[in-house]
Amino acid sequence: MPLSEKDFPVEEHSLENGLQIRLLRDTSLPVCTVYSFFRVGSRNERPGITGISHLFEHMMFNGSRKYGPKEFDRRLEAAGGSSNAYTSQDITAYYEDFASEALPLVLDLEADRMASLTIDDASLAREREVVKEERRFRTDNDIDGMLAEALGALTYLAHPYRWPVIGWMTDIEAITRQDCEGYFRTYYAPNNCTLVLVGDFEPAAALREIDRLYGPIGAGGKLPGVATGEPPQKGERRAVIRYPSQAPALIAAFRTAAGRDPDLLVLDLIEAALSSGEGARLKRALVYEQELCVDAHVYFGWRMDDAPFEISLKLNPGVDPARAENALWAELSRVSSEQMPARELERAKNLIRSQLLRALSTSNGRAHTIGQMEVLLGSWRAMLDLPDRYASITAADVLRVAQKTFAPHRRNLVTLVPGEVDA
Amino acid sequence: MSATDLQLPPLQIEKLPSGLTLLAVQKRGLPLFHVRLSLPAGACEDPRGKTGLAQFVVDLLRRGTRRRPAQDVDDLIESMGAHLYADVSMEEAALALTVPAELSERALDALLEVALEPAFEDAEVSAARRRTIAGLQSDLDEPNSVAGRAVVTLGYGSAHPYAHPAQGFRRDVETFRREDALGFHATRYQQQGALLAVVGQRSPAELLDLMKARLGQWEGSWPGRSQRVALQFAGLPPGEGMRAIVIHKPDATQAQVRIVSPGLPRSTPRYAESVVTNTILGGGFTSLLVDAIRVDRGLSYSVSTRLHMNRRAGLSIFSSFTKNETLRELVDVALEKMRAYAQSGPSEDALEKARRYLAGLFPLGLESHEALAEQIADALLDGLGLEHIQTYRSRVSAVTAPQARTMAAELSPAREGALMIVVGEAEAARRALGGLCPVDVRQLEEFA
Repeated sequence: MPLSEKDFPVEEHSLENGLQIRLLRDTSLPVCTVYSFFRVGSRNERPGITGISHLFEHMMFNGSRKYGPKEFDRRLEAAGGSSNAYTSQDITAYYEDFASEALPLVLDLEADRMASLTIDDASLAREREVVKEERRFRTDNDIDGMLAEALGALTYLAHPYRWPVIGWMTDIEAITRQDCEGYFRTYYAPNNCTLVLVGDFEPAAALREIDRLYGPIGAGGKLPGVATGEPPQKGERRAVIRYPSQAPALIAAFRTAAGRDPDLLVLDLIEAALSSGEGARLKRALVYEQELCVDAHVYFGWRMDDAPFEISLKLNPGVDPARAENALWAELSRVSSEQMPARELERAKNLIRSQLLRALSTSNGRAHTIGQMEVLLGSWRAMLDLPDRYASITAADVLRVAQKTFAPHRRNLVTLVPGEVDA
Repeated sequence: MSATDLQLPPLQIEKLPSGLTLLAVQKRGLPLFHVRLSLPAGACEDPRGKTGLAQFVVDLLRRGTRRRPAQDVDDLIESMGAHLYADVSMEEAALALTVPAELSERALDALLEVALEPAFEDAEVSAARRRTIAGLQSDLDEPNSVAGRAVVTLGYGSAHPYAHPAQGFRRDVETFRREDALGFHATRYQQQGALLAVVGQRSPAELLDLMKARLGQWEGSWPGRSQRVALQFAGLPPGEGMRAIVIHKPDATQAQVRIVSPGLPRSTPRYAESVVTNTILGGGFTSLLVDAIRVDRGLSYSVSTRLHMNRRAGLSIFSSFTKNETLRELVDVALEKMRAYAQSGPSEDALEKARRYLAGLFPLGLESHEALAEQIADALLDGLGLEHIQTYRSRVSAVTAPQARTMAAELSPAREGALMIVVGEAEAARRALGGLCPVDVRQLEEFA
């Protein structure tokens, strides 16, 4: 059953400067969400300034011409709202959730920082320290983070996906104000942004306000190309990390396809079959039956370029990593060599359909889904027929994609071994 | 009491003679159905020497029922496209499912079967014990998680029913046997004090009928009525001076910091004042502490204060982290700001900002099926009634400066007797905290 356009009457507009606008009215609660999606992430970086997209996300809260330092969130909170943002490999997204009467203020705040962000040395110096703390928290002192970082560098040789979104510590330290100014001019122009509004507002009035506030901002130039080249993988790649942990861990990745490739939907189903829910194959086999792991998890999300299909195993203390690794390859070999039973395929489809519906159950979720579809798939309408596209996937599709994806020569594996590195 | 300021969706509440409360909420829009069963079987009910039992039991529920083995239970739930939420808070065990609307009967039956007819087979109990112990050891790798376990264990003082993490301690989990699970289930999974909530597209009356029809099929499965010994909730002990516990995490380049003092229970008549006052100090992104520690000094990525509000007691907690080299600076700034706030309270501007922030965002917390069921169920179970939700916005909007000033002093995490918990490299932390207060170094394993 597809989602109906009648239930999601999204209005599409754009301004002369290229700003894309998507509006979805929903008056069930007196609240709104605004998302600004910029098509920029760590894939747009280069060695030496890795992490600048994320550092820049922090800088966007440090003041602009009309609203000075600390004013963005202060004004927003005082009007009954809150904000946050995230940076991925492909996207930097900013959002505000707020009481609906604050919409004019929110649009003014967003338009003002797009038009006239202030980038000064003092705020860059402070924000750099905050980001370094974030890196220590999420990567240097976090096992999942340190393994993911090593895995990226193993899975990609040439593509910018090889470095972490937060950047290497030495690059975070080296980024200059001039780097930030250049980044802002290049990537924060209206023609690189999709603005999404969902909630309790009057669309015609909102559109007039957007035109008034964003209309005068000049369009940016042509965006620089991205070095997306990546040689074919010709053999398994492995790395080892030593760290004083309680237990070993494994993380593996297989490079897959880019965002609009229909095989990604098949991989979503494989992800659900392997790790969504306690009855998923990897959990059943590795956690419950063989008692090798505390947790077994697959991370797979669409990206603009070839996305990694990642599998993380948090091993039980004392388990030999080689044993867990063999058990993992055995499960991947099974999905690649035996047709998935109809009942299991149906289970995976139902889990994905529910996940899709749940994502649409809040204003924030609807706004995020609309924007993400626009940026990654080219149109918000892609979400409407997703349920039908998942429903039409067959067991033969699963077998074909699994065989292609999980071939042994495409493996990338990082093993965490408890212990110290000798100085 | 203030006038209603937030319209809840159509709903009906009915208390059955058995003591079970039914809640039916109509939510139009997406074709989803949500069911949530709350039972008086939370972590505070863990028997002495059996910390973690409530969590262990809720984890075991899905590992086989009297009708089907564990794999078939997973299939039953996940073939509907649902994930079983099964967890415990200090007060309750809660089980919940969200399914496509056409599967509402199946979802209710599945949830009741799992909750009421667990098999607790020996082999599953032993396997669950091994998994829990492995999980507890694994959690020691996460400084944030260790800090959280230490906060409840040490913050409530010994022998308090809240003074342990819900996952329990390894030494207790190692003793769990089938009889423990059976006994806990028989005495705590009772209709008296339980609440079954559904949120769906049908009218509240139709949803109530649906619940009653399905409950009728499971009437004989509820454990028999059992008298429980009332828990003793002593007041939290007043401390003298400040003391620090450092939990040694080798190789850590960053220290997790918590500063903890007694707080308030959720039932406090001064709920709105406490929430507003905490928001100004460390709740929102423009709080005094975020400003001082993150924005002005770049000392940390995350700074907050929060109120750990349980039904009968609570804690007031400061949380942050910083690199080892700036631990003392962060602690000094945090203490100075918290003490100044406790003395002078908030400015008028900050108070007005917090009132509007909390009132404006409140409806967002009721948007999803899951949030709606949980918020209303918790308000009813805590004895606060629907008014707690319906008048929240006017109550926070009415908090005055004198009320906030009084509350700022009473709720400061840094007041006399506060406990500081640091998870990090012990020598670096001990050096950093030198001269500030007595420091006691503990080993990570003590918190497993």
